[in-house]
Amino acid sequence: MSLLATSSTLTTEDVRRTILKNGLVVLTKELHTSPIVTSMIWYRVGSRNESIGQTGKSHFLEHMLFKGTERFKKGEIDLLTLKNGGGNNAFTSHDFTAYYFNFASDRWHVALDIEADRMVNCTFEPDEFEAEKKVVIEELKTSLDSPWGLLLQETDAAAYKLHPYRNPIVGWLQDVERASAAEQQVYYRKYYHPNNAVLVLVGDFRTDEVVERVEKTFSEIPIGPAPPEMVLNEPEQRGERRIVVRWRSRIPRLAIAYHAPRIADRDSYALQLLGVILSEGKASRLYQRMVEREQSVTFVTAEYGESMDPTLFHVRAEARGEHPIEQIEASIHDELRSIATQGVTPHEIDRAKHQIEAHFILSRERTLDQAILLGQIETLDSLEYVDSYLGRMAAVTTDDIGDVCSRYLRENNRTVAQLLSDGSQPGSEDAIED
Amino acid sequence: MKTDVVSRRSFQVHEHQLSNGLKALFVENPAIPTISINASVLTGARYDPEEKAGLALMVSRLLDEGTKNRSSLEIAEAIESVGGAIETDGSFERIVVSISILKKDLDLGLDLLSDLLINPIFPQDYVEKEKERTLSEIASAKDRPQVLAGWAFNELIYKDHPLHRPSHGYPETVEKLTRDDLLDFHKRYFVPNNAIVSIVGDFDIAELLPKVEQVFAGWQSRPIAFPVYPAASRQTEPRNKIINMHAQQLNIYLGHLGVVRSNPDYYSLQVLDTILGGGAGFTARIPQKLRDELGLAYTTFASITMTAGLDPGRFVAFIGTSPENMNLAIDGLIQEIRRIVEQPVTESELQDAKEYLTGSFVFAFETSGQIARFLVHAQVYGLGFDYIDKYPEYINRVTIEDIARVARKYLDPQNYTLVVVGPVNQDESIPNAITKN
Repeated sequence: MSLLATSSTLTTEDVRRTILKNGLVVLTKELHTSPIVTSMIWYRVGSRNESIGQTGKSHFLEHMLFKGTERFKKGEIDLLTLKNGGGNNAFTSHDFTAYYFNFASDRWHVALDIEADRMVNCTFEPDEFEAEKKVVIEELKTSLDSPWGLLLQETDAAAYKLHPYRNPIVGWLQDVERASAAEQQVYYRKYYHPNNAVLVLVGDFRTDEVVERVEKTFSEIPIGPAPPEMVLNEPEQRGERRIVVRWRSRIPRLAIAYHAPRIADRDSYALQLLGVILSEGKASRLYQRMVEREQSVTFVTAEYGESMDPTLFHVRAEARGEHPIEQIEASIHDELRSIATQGVTPHEIDRAKHQIEAHFILSRERTLDQAILLGQIETLDSLEYVDSYLGRMAAVTTDDIGDVCSRYLRENNRTVAQLLSDGSQPGSEDAIED
Repeated sequence: MKTDVVSRRSFQVHEHQLSNGLKALFVENPAIPTISINASVLTGARYDPEEKAGLALMVSRLLDEGTKNRSSLEIAEAIESVGGAIETDGSFERIVVSISILKKDLDLGLDLLSDLLINPIFPQDYVEKEKERTLSEIASAKDRPQVLAGWAFNELIYKDHPLHRPSHGYPETVEKLTRDDLLDFHKRYFVPNNAIVSIVGDFDIAELLPKVEQVFAGWQSRPIAFPVYPAASRQTEPRNKIINMHAQQLNIYLGHLGVVRSNPDYYSLQVLDTILGGGAGFTARIPQKLRDELGLAYTTFASITMTAGLDPGRFVAFIGTSPENMNLAIDGLIQEIRRIVEQPVTESELQDAKEYLTGSFVFAFETSGQIARFLVHAQVYGLGFDYIDKYPEYINRVTIEDIARVARKYLDPQNYTLVVVGPVNQDESIPNAITKN
């Protein structure tokens, strides 16, 4: 494990951290392997900040940030990206909203100009807002037409009683439909401030030059009122929850969600390793048992998701052929019980550690990957997490794996969700051949 | 600064032909201590006989399920224990084994690669398992309206050409595949003179070459006769299909046969794609109009170059939209296609598209895996390894007249295939735009 952990691609030792007077955190990292600069801005706002009746606000806001300011009219951000031969996109999660630009290394300043402007100057033209609402609703519907999009939405809603992680990031349809430009603008003013943001630049530049330019571009923006602290304590689950979701497919699908600790919790490392031991690669436990021997599923995955507040460990499987879903579920429970009582082998944990280490290296090749890592970890926890990550993974023992399996992946802590047929007939075809 | 950018975008390709005919391409990329290996065998679903549709893909998926030297589990253990990954996959044109591995495990990677290519045994029990699994995956894919729409679209535009079918075949052809079919396929196509190996990453060329020669030394060349199949031809009449499905959205495919990658108009068509249906964000005409202005969709695009290959690809305009928008969406797509066929694009549209294509080109060469795939791509399509330097030239020479000419030649706003999958109102008439043609 220690062989590569010292390489500077894998630590934050060459990340420079600058904090502007208005509170904007700036992380810069030079990387001269490709003539590219990725520029990202992260806001500490996501669906966890949304209250009842207001779901989808963070995500809708992400869409509106492309819809125009006084300086960059509607469509101009994309047009500037096009003219400069770049790429841009954005994404919203439970915990954050992030925007990025990729440009050749002689034009990163375009991204800074846009980000500084739209941090505070979005116009929220009501007509534009209503037009974009239709787009957001189509996005929401696309997700409902995907079996896993629908099942995971319902699973999470059942697993959390109180915490806003129970809401879909895109929001509930009824909330999105009744959203107004005025309310959206209030939400924007509340969360889009330099002191609630992290700017990340990774790539082929000279740090001094970039930092100077960032200061020039952003320092005029005034510090904003600190966003309200969210008090979000999910009550302890006191017994298994089970739900059935009816849908048009005849193929049964299963999702099991277990409450799990937040990112960087001491148990989080063992849970990540457990996910890998269970389902990463063809030698993994659940693959060998369910895909190879029992041949009951087309795929099975087990995964711990990193997030700011206590999260969920998801196990998912899709039935193969006529295989009964009860047996599929029983196999998963049985395998987890066996790990909880007998643990895993030293070979299994060793293999999983190598897989995590290699993934950590292999998934950092692009400037965008590195910018995402830095922004995400700074937003969710602190960069120290990155530097200590492989060391903490290396320290996990086989006993730790058995221990977290028995404490978290247990009956009273789980929500079992099945996606089953609603009895409808499959599609009918009307061919109009000319 | 610009000159600097251009010089560092290039990389040196080391090209070798082994004595058994295997083509080997290497690029040193010491950015991170990893290596990407890509081996492509130049065959695929395009050569599957109709009654054995799905054969090539099944061969690809079983390459790592047992060889003369290792069981399925031994292969998985060997690669996963060092944190590496093997993927085997097949398209219409290629069967690909890709391996990503840490630098220190290069020898293991090469050993596994050659074993998978030369010695697969397609164990009987795995053949049966894979058939069952493929059947389940086909059933599962049918739950997604966009997939179903894509299949129906291909059936209509390719007719008797092999690309009319999904690469995984049909349930009735998959069921009949046998181990002997797989062995015959392997014997026929898996020869060094029909394969390319590209390796990109943190290694020393002088040390790598003898290793590659050694692991592939036993692989014997043999002449291959490739099957001949009828050429695809573009439709001369409209074709429609509606599949009713209980869903939130309609998935609409509209288009017809496209072009091969070697078409000399490929670069003019790339510029056309950028103006009509691709580009950065929602700058292209179709997303700008149908998404940004009319709010009809989250996903809408059009492209003719995206699927261009050894066989002609497809010109596709796609939109996913609510059922009540059907006519508006179809009309919108057709109007934009018609507009680019009938009216010249503007000078600024042309310039912006060129800036975009020549500027964003560099994002395709960031990782070792991307470069390894590019090397095979360049070799198969005869692009030349100086393609990276020449590409801006190819794009910059495109004129407004070129775009008008290729639009007229390759896009047809009348004789196209229209597929709609989703909750279509039974009483809904087929949009005027189609019936009046």
